[in-house]
Amino acid sequence: MMAQPLRTQPTLVASALRIFDLSLGQMLWSRRSAFLGVLLGGPVLMALAIRLLSTTLGPFQINGARVGGAAIFGIMIWLLYIRFIIPVLGVFYGTSLIADEVDDKTITYLFTRPIPRGAVVLGKYLAYLACTVLLVLPSVMLVFFLIVPTGGGSIAEAFPFLLSDFGMLTLGLAAYGALFAFVGTRLKRPLVIGLVFSFGWEPAVLLFPGYLKRLTVAYYLQALVKHEMPQDSAINMLMQVFREVPSVPISLVSLTVIVGLSLWAAGRAVETREYVLEQ
Amino acid sequence: MPIHDQGYRRYGGDRAPRGHSWAVIASAGIRTFFGKRAFLGLLLISWFPFFVRAVQIYAATNLPQAAFLAPTPDTFRQFLDQQEIFVFFVTVYVGAGLIANDRRANALQIYLSKPLTRAEYVFGKLAVLMAFLLLVTWVPAIVLLIVQIAFAGNFVFLKNNVFLFPAITVFTFLQVTLVATTMLALSSLSNSSRYVGILYASVIFFSSAVYGVIFVVTRNTMFSWISFPANLEQIGDLIFRLPPKYDTPWLVSLLMIVGLIVLSGVILERRVRGVEVVA
Amino acid sequence: MSAPIVAADHLSKWYGQVIGLNDVSLTVPPGITGLLGPNGAGKSTFMKLITGQLKPSKGGIKVLGEPIWRNPALYFRIGFCPEQDAFYERMTGLDWISALVRLNGVGEQEAAAMAHRALEMVDLLDAARKKIGAYSKGMRQRVKMAQALAHDPELLILDEPLGGMDPTARRKTIRMIKEWGRAGKSIIVSSHILHEIESMTANILLINQGRILAEGNVHQIRDLIDEHPHTVHIKAEQTRALARQFLAHDDVLSLRFEEDAVVVQTARPDAFYARLTDLAASGELGTIHEVTSPDDNLQAVFQYLVK
Repeated sequence: MMAQPLRTQPTLVASALRIFDLSLGQMLWSRRSAFLGVLLGGPVLMALAIRLLSTTLGPFQINGARVGGAAIFGIMIWLLYIRFIIPVLGVFYGTSLIADEVDDKTITYLFTRPIPRGAVVLGKYLAYLACTVLLVLPSVMLVFFLIVPTGGGSIAEAFPFLLSDFGMLTLGLAAYGALFAFVGTRLKRPLVIGLVFSFGWEPAVLLFPGYLKRLTVAYYLQALVKHEMPQDSAINMLMQVFREVPSVPISLVSLTVIVGLSLWAAGRAVETREYVLEQ
Repeated sequence: MPIHDQGYRRYGGDRAPRGHSWAVIASAGIRTFFGKRAFLGLLLISWFPFFVRAVQIYAATNLPQAAFLAPTPDTFRQFLDQQEIFVFFVTVYVGAGLIANDRRANALQIYLSKPLTRAEYVFGKLAVLMAFLLLVTWVPAIVLLIVQIAFAGNFVFLKNNVFLFPAITVFTFLQVTLVATTMLALSSLSNSSRYVGILYASVIFFSSAVYGVIFVVTRNTMFSWISFPANLEQIGDLIFRLPPKYDTPWLVSLLMIVGLIVLSGVILERRVRGVEVVA
Repeated sequence: MSAPIVAADHLSKWYGQVIGLNDVSLTVPPGITGLLGPNGAGKSTFMKLITGQLKPSKGGIKVLGEPIWRNPALYFRIGFCPEQDAFYERMTGLDWISALVRLNGVGEQEAAAMAHRALEMVDLLDAARKKIGAYSKGMRQRVKMAQALAHDPELLILDEPLGGMDPTARRKTIRMIKEWGRAGKSIIVSSHILHEIESMTANILLINQGRILAEGNVHQIRDLIDEHPHTVHIKAEQTRALARQFLAHDDVLSLRFEEDAVVVQTARPDAFYARLTDLAASGELGTIHEVTSPDDNLQAVFQYLVK
């Protein structure tokens, strides 16, 4: 029998990085990224429209008070990115990390390699994070540069908000993605569960006082939103949501724990699960 | 003849007239979903608000101190509003894979190689989704009306609100048609039901989020036509003779709804084909 | 005696109420082994168990001396070519195989070289830089085999490797498999195309309804099936005279005539062949043109045991 060359099994991280290499190109250049482009182009087009409107109609006002560009940017970050785009990307990509490979029946090639199965989850998760961050942050940046100058806003003054928003959105993508990666490895209908969680559970629970809101990601992300918001009765109601927010360090630690625990649990799930492909 | 031919014989029995094949697709689809326990659980939960309302009506008709709970036309409007969340989940659960799964399994070619027109195929699939959507909207609303008559022991409420039956019927059929055609059109765009589910959720929530931003910025509800759910709400208020929530003219909302149905039809016409024509 | 490459000990696997594999104990020796069985026999289940995709419900399975479930290090020594036609369609053959080889801990350049060699072995070098989505069915099958052997494993597990190939490609692939066997690799090939398995190896594992029906050399298995008489087809000048001669002996159970031939069923083939040889040598009953045994083959074994 032929002598086998000695090979050391790659470490978890090294294996994950190789899976990352394999997956990133596929994620970036897939047709689904066109959907991502439309999703992220929407706020940019809105920002352009708002910029044009403010140029022709003058600055926006609410109850006689002028609304600055920074405030509008903050509203867009909250309503479009945090409450919609980030959870949707997390649900979509997170639940699909392993499920897509199973549906496409390519999971066999990855699970018959001398790498821990958890590395496949980790590598694909990193590819998802890189792909979404590479697309979301430029969208946010474009919106920032289009919106902030309206109403006499100053880009220089608002720039620190942009940087903190980058961090907050990246953390949001990381947390939602990890959480739904775990959901995707454990449950049969992860998409429906993900949608129930993001658009049913989180909005409902955040409205009520108590401990239940700690079982959401949005509760911790809220603490990292530092935007100036226009003051009016409708927004005051919104501001009530901000009253019970954890401190920034607690939020950062909690989000990190969510990411770590979810990825560990997802890795454990794929290690022990049997994947029977449709014939 | 003494020895009979055991070979193939042509079917000599009755055949259903042409144009009934859609019912075969519909009944097969409906039976499939009724066989899924998780889906039956979802249907059961979707009837929970009905039971709450039935108790409310019982209390109002039988307990003098609960007379303030007496139903009004707005009760039925609110009930249908509450059912929207179940409409969303049933649509995603049932509708996402209706055509997408056939595309994935290359079954479209098989379907369309039978004496089945594309229209029959589409109507059959549409019927599956519409049946379940009506089961969580029209059926419980009508049963609620019947329950009111039964508990009250007279037709007074119905006589005073005779428009309710056609209102419920027209609104729910409009809602169900819009939702079903939109979902079916999206399902024909992909071979991944997960992707279709996310696309549908994006259409709903993204349009609402965009309108939300515009409303907060402009404090004007004239732009509610941008939001998929808001258009239905506007028409629903009109049908139930309630004051409209938004300043958008009802005709604009109706045009948006009709336009979306027509667009869905165009997409279905282009995507539901036995073969893909490569120019 | 070499250690077995696969050893199953009271191996069972069930899916809910359905038994996929039922108390299977066997050893697969080094070399080429054909895994045969009708659809639903348990071949896929067995393949998935020996490649670590499924965990045994009961019993144990060792591949190359080690348990395979949750033992990724073993995949350095195993190459698996699955049945399903599934690829990363947008990648080129070379890129895809290189990426998979890199998961073996190999550097980028070395991985590309190994991928190049593997594609050369399967005669796919010309299409190495084409996207897999543009490959024909036969090319897709070959690139699948290339990814299985790129890292030079000791054991190759091939699930229906000839599916979708044209006759020329099939012959080439069978030749390749035999060459790999001669080069020292152990190969387990699953198929339901009997004559192709027969052309690769005489060592078979016959499975049906979740149980192993027979394992070992196909001719030995045939000999053991005593209750099934052997059929001998004799093309000769004087078939009737031969028939009269055959009927005089009690080991001949039946015979029938075909055009210029007589087909005999005998319970004792050794004795029958000895008499036939003498007859042919003496020439007293005319010339005997041809003697064949239509059922000393896998088809017959399969039919007798699976029926």
